[in-house]
Amino acid sequence: MQLFFEQLLNGIAMGSIYALVTLGLALVYGILRILHVAHAAVYTVGAYAGLFCYSHTGSLLLAFLGGMIFCSILGVAIERLVYYPLLKYPPYVPLIGSIAIMLSIEEICRLVAGPYILTFPATLPFPEFQLGGVTISSTLTAVYVITTAVLGLLWFISTKTELGLAMRATSQDIPIADAMGINSHAIVSIAFVIGSSIAAIAGILVGIYYNQVYPTMGTVPAYKTLALIVVGGLGSMPGAVIASMLLGVAETLLIGYADIPLPRDALAFIAMIAVLMWRSEGLMGSK
Amino acid sequence: MTDTLLQARKLSKHFGGLKAVDQVDLDIHPGEILGLLGPNGAGKTVFFNLISGVYRPTGGTVHFQGDRIDGLPSHRVAARGIGRTFQIVKPFASLTVLENVLVARGITRYGTFRRLWGPWQSKSETRAALETLERVGLAELAERKAGLLPLGNLRRLEIARALVVGHQLILLDESFSGLRHEEIAQLETLIRRIRDDGITVLLIEHNMRVTMGLCDRIVVLDHGRKIAQGKPQDIQENDLVIEAYLGSRGGRHAA
Amino acid sequence: MDAYLITIGTLIIIYAITVYGLNVIVGYAGQISLGHAAFFGIGAYASALLTTKAGLSFWEALPIVILLSGLIGIVLGLPSLRLREDFLAITTIGINFIVEALFLYVPYFGGALGIGGIPRVVLFGVKLKGMAFFLLCLGFLALVIFICWWFTRSWGGVACFALREEESAAASVGISPVRFKLLAFVIGTMMAGLGGALYAHYMRFISATDFSFPMSITFLSMIVLGGMGTLWGPLLGAVLLGILPELFRPIVDYRILFYTALLLVMIRFQPAGLLGEGSIVHKWLILKPAGGRP
Repeated sequence: MQLFFEQLLNGIAMGSIYALVTLGLALVYGILRILHVAHAAVYTVGAYAGLFCYSHTGSLLLAFLGGMIFCSILGVAIERLVYYPLLKYPPYVPLIGSIAIMLSIEEICRLVAGPYILTFPATLPFPEFQLGGVTISSTLTAVYVITTAVLGLLWFISTKTELGLAMRATSQDIPIADAMGINSHAIVSIAFVIGSSIAAIAGILVGIYYNQVYPTMGTVPAYKTLALIVVGGLGSMPGAVIASMLLGVAETLLIGYADIPLPRDALAFIAMIAVLMWRSEGLMGSK
Repeated sequence: MTDTLLQARKLSKHFGGLKAVDQVDLDIHPGEILGLLGPNGAGKTVFFNLISGVYRPTGGTVHFQGDRIDGLPSHRVAARGIGRTFQIVKPFASLTVLENVLVARGITRYGTFRRLWGPWQSKSETRAALETLERVGLAELAERKAGLLPLGNLRRLEIARALVVGHQLILLDESFSGLRHEEIAQLETLIRRIRDDGITVLLIEHNMRVTMGLCDRIVVLDHGRKIAQGKPQDIQENDLVIEAYLGSRGGRHAA
Repeated sequence: MDAYLITIGTLIIIYAITVYGLNVIVGYAGQISLGHAAFFGIGAYASALLTTKAGLSFWEALPIVILLSGLIGIVLGLPSLRLREDFLAITTIGINFIVEALFLYVPYFGGALGIGGIPRVVLFGVKLKGMAFFLLCLGFLALVIFICWWFTRSWGGVACFALREEESAAASVGISPVRFKLLAFVIGTMMAGLGGALYAHYMRFISATDFSFPMSITFLSMIVLGGMGTLWGPLLGAVLLGILPELFRPIVDYRILFYTALLLVMIRFQPAGLLGEGSIVHKWLILKPAGGRP
């Protein structure tokens, strides 16, 4: 029972991190209708940038800030240099561009920082807990607290601020948003800033959680999060969160607890296809 | 029922809570030009889309020549002999004008597997396509790339495509929209000629003068409901119609 | 002829056959498929298993392999093609991962060790290797190119093309979107299956990692580079991307970066590919666009 509980907690943590990455993807899709596969590369860069800042300053706060700033710049650069000019083409064109960007960035990380797994020996300044006989490490606590804070902040921005309103208007219809006086291109860039910052946070959290930073750490999340936004309903943020949590828990329990030898990536896609068969718009999508 | 070409009964389309088309009954008689009028948002294009198979009805039925066609997808409705144009023109831009019509000529083959492998630009098909182009007055532009054509000619091209498919009934969605004065007169003549050739026409139009002059009968929709039907003179004097157009929407020219 | 060149050349021809199939799906019908390597793998494994475990010859197995690739294409394609474009991209990625996982984890397919000892192709009692096998592949390539050419001239081909240009207008003239997307998809998967079968008998040893997702990206890059929807684009793309690794041996470390950067530049500035309309090559050779049709 204890093992189950332990794995459940791990699963929730995993799901929370997936949620952070998937949210950025859902955000971009909601506004540009582009599958931003390169988002996972931003996540990887976030981990590296955070590690770099940490190893040079010893401050986790600066690591997070540095990662967020660097990734925001990267995200906006991708949007302005590649996606926006390609919007007029059929969707597979920006998608191929996104895949190319992701692979290029992975390679650049490999060439610059080396192909070896780097460690991220930081401890997050959160307390440890004992709960039901299981120790919740400080890292785990940190994951819960930080992801809840980020999700809460996002929800607040989205529903209670003018920015959120503008973003929802732009994601409905860019020309109409323009006509209403919203600078839709600025909104798009802001969406990328938000999404990329969150990806950076997720990357750093994962780097610390597993104590591993390596160039291809984004590959698996790249495709898994695609399946997740489909399951959640393309463009639906609550759906993305729910789907991510479900997958995180399911994966960890099935593989860590029940010991079923399913390949992790395939599991996400199998789940996706199963959900699509049942509801073709995803869990919370609209037709 | 036998002298009705198309019959819609209690046809409805709801989008969530919005009743875009609400329990509309409509008959189209063979050989007539029927106009569908109504202010913006009245549900005219949605109604078209219900008939041509772009939308599935939420309720009600559509019968064409005695057979039910509601709920059929667009390509099957086309195969039954109903052609349509689009409010925003959709030419196959990188094909020539002739080729655009040739694509439509494949209607008898697209449903079969065996006949798919024949060459699509055979002499007989090309001749037939040219004939259709002559009917709409585009024969000289046959070799021009469709994407380069001005709006007036594009609307004719849409009609040409619809004629190939719709040998009984064609649906014209705001074909006069955006046309210049001379083009409007030419199009009116074309539509009359089409009707004289035996094809029934259902059209959506905002241009009042054209509609009143061209149509044998008119049906008026407002907020998804049918509020009037009859001959043009009757419609012009109908209080409900006047109210719908000049009422809360303001007297703005329906754009 | 130099044995080394023949080796490279054969692989290029095999890839070309496979990406001609992808070109029908993406270039002619405008459907995004990011799982083409899965069908390449299905063809390879099917031929490998039929010839090693069932004792069939390459020629006896080939019709089965091609039909099987087509059948699985229908089974996987039918639900996928009904979905919106974005879903399709993700679904095909998923197909790639799932098929690869099957090859890797189901013991019948040899697991991580793959399948070895695949026999050579025998024609009129002669084991084909080197130049002879190269010519056989070339023959298949010619057949595949002919089928593509015929397709663009047929009613089926123009229906796919119209569907790609304007789906709702195509439907309004009687073209069933699902049926024709499926037709293109199945033609594509059958060609991939053929390529896979040739690959198996060429390498004589295959394993699941040969058919993973990056391979699908490579295939896509070939037609992006060469020109989607053109008749010679896939061949050009296969040749260029096949030769480049050899040219870049000295800077092998930067190879992948070069590829991906090249793909990025191509898709950003020349999405129609080198042979596509409006490309630099077009303007340079002052080629007249032939009415816009593929």
